[in-house]
Amino acid sequence: MQNSEELKWALLVASLAMLTMAFCMISFVMYYQKRRFEEEKKINDIEKNYNRLLLDTALNSEETERRRIAQDLHDDIGTMLSLTKLSLNQLIKMAGNSRNEKEDQIMRKSQSLVEETILHVRRITRDLVPTTLERFGLLEAIEEFIHKLAEDKNLTISFHAGMEEFPRQAQKLELTLYRIMQELVNNAIKHANCTRIEITLEIREELIGLRVTDNGIGFDPEKMKESSMAGLGLLGIESRLAILNGTVLYEKPEKGGASAFAQIPVMPVADVKLEPLHPFRRERVNV
Amino acid sequence: MFPVYLTYCTKNPVGCIAVFITLLPLILIIYRKAYIDPSFKLLLLYLIFKLIIDVIMFHTAAMHQNNLLYFNIAIPFYYSFLSGMFYFKFSSITFKRFLIASMIGFLIFTVWDILKSNSQLHDLHNHRAVLFAKTVEGVLIIALVLLFFYDIIKSLQIPNLLTFPFFWVCSGLLLYYSSFIFIAPVFHYTATWKNSFDLGIANTIPTLFEILCALFFSIGIYHFSTADYAKQ
Repeated sequence: MQNSEELKWALLVASLAMLTMAFCMISFVMYYQKRRFEEEKKINDIEKNYNRLLLDTALNSEETERRRIAQDLHDDIGTMLSLTKLSLNQLIKMAGNSRNEKEDQIMRKSQSLVEETILHVRRITRDLVPTTLERFGLLEAIEEFIHKLAEDKNLTISFHAGMEEFPRQAQKLELTLYRIMQELVNNAIKHANCTRIEITLEIREELIGLRVTDNGIGFDPEKMKESSMAGLGLLGIESRLAILNGTVLYEKPEKGGASAFAQIPVMPVADVKLEPLHPFRRERVNV
Repeated sequence: MFPVYLTYCTKNPVGCIAVFITLLPLILIIYRKAYIDPSFKLLLLYLIFKLIIDVIMFHTAAMHQNNLLYFNIAIPFYYSFLSGMFYFKFSSITFKRFLIASMIGFLIFTVWDILKSNSQLHDLHNHRAVLFAKTVEGVLIIALVLLFFYDIIKSLQIPNLLTFPFFWVCSGLLLYYSSFIFIAPVFHYTATWKNSFDLGIANTIPTLFEILCALFFSIGIYHFSTADYAKQ
């Protein structure tokens, strides 16, 4: 009788031990799986942040380089051209009426060439560093950009802002939107064979939206990205947006052409510096 | 007949619940259309077969007849259905071949065990439970479940195990067979007409975990979604 009682207890203990092991096994699988997923997620986040940082650094370097080139053009070439113009003016004055017609023609041609070169240098420096953007903001910078392109009689560019007073945003955001707008408009001009471009800028809730629509031949963004060279501009747009958690959507309007809609979460600047930054100041673009 | 069943139910309520709780996952499989997954189709067949065997055993037990023949016969079928479920969960061809070989091997082993345990097969009144086959079935199913768990951890494809239907099925099987693995061979000696040895609570543990297993199946099937089936 005692043996049977012991057997019962032995069976009970063995079964309970086995069940405990089973419960532990199930709990372990659940816990381990969860932990591995969390680790995997952490690694993915680190990789994502690292890539973002790399991209950010690359774009900052690009802006810094643009500033440096613009500064060199302004300080060195610009100054030398101004001096050349001054010297030419002096030479013309010194020569007085003694020079013949041909010499006079050469002198004036040289003078006009120097003036034209100065204008070109000024335009290039402004293209390299959008000083209007830094001084007055996105609306003015876009309007200035459109104004420059308005010389082309076959192209009509219109710009609509959702509000009259567009609040200043963080420098990085404004620069990103400006560069995206530049890229999209340049793409439309180069590749779309369009006659009309519409730019719309609006703030909806916590997002700033930029839409560029043209009436050109349109394009397939997926195919463009797959091709090795043609899609670099679009990839650049996506890279810039990725840094600011922005998105871009390419559409094909029913009436034809192409439309790109970029959205970025707002980053308002509470304390906007009213004094403009020196356009060619030597500094890292700290955005 | 009904009062006989009722009397049996009142005497052995846990055993009766274990018989009829099988209806819950069975109905859920049909309701949730989980049978579109080959593994769950086999689970449905297993549950139908189990319900039939359990009902027959319930009837014979209520009639005070020896029902261990059904218990013994069901063993290779249970193993075939359950291991068949894992056949569709593993991609390795070698493993699939091993599973088929194990089904055939286990069938032969169970027949040998039945014959060995019952020298006089025609004497159904004194028919005894198998000595090894149920334990071997338990060991094999536990091994398959652990292999599946290893595969889950290794592949890292299921973000949330609590919503993964087959994880619940495996957990239920693991608990049920863990509770039964030591008690099964003892049945060979205790489950006889002349036996005076009562296992006590140890006898009820596998029945309780059989109920828990059916509940785990039901939870798993409840999480089954035909829309997400392709993703699984």
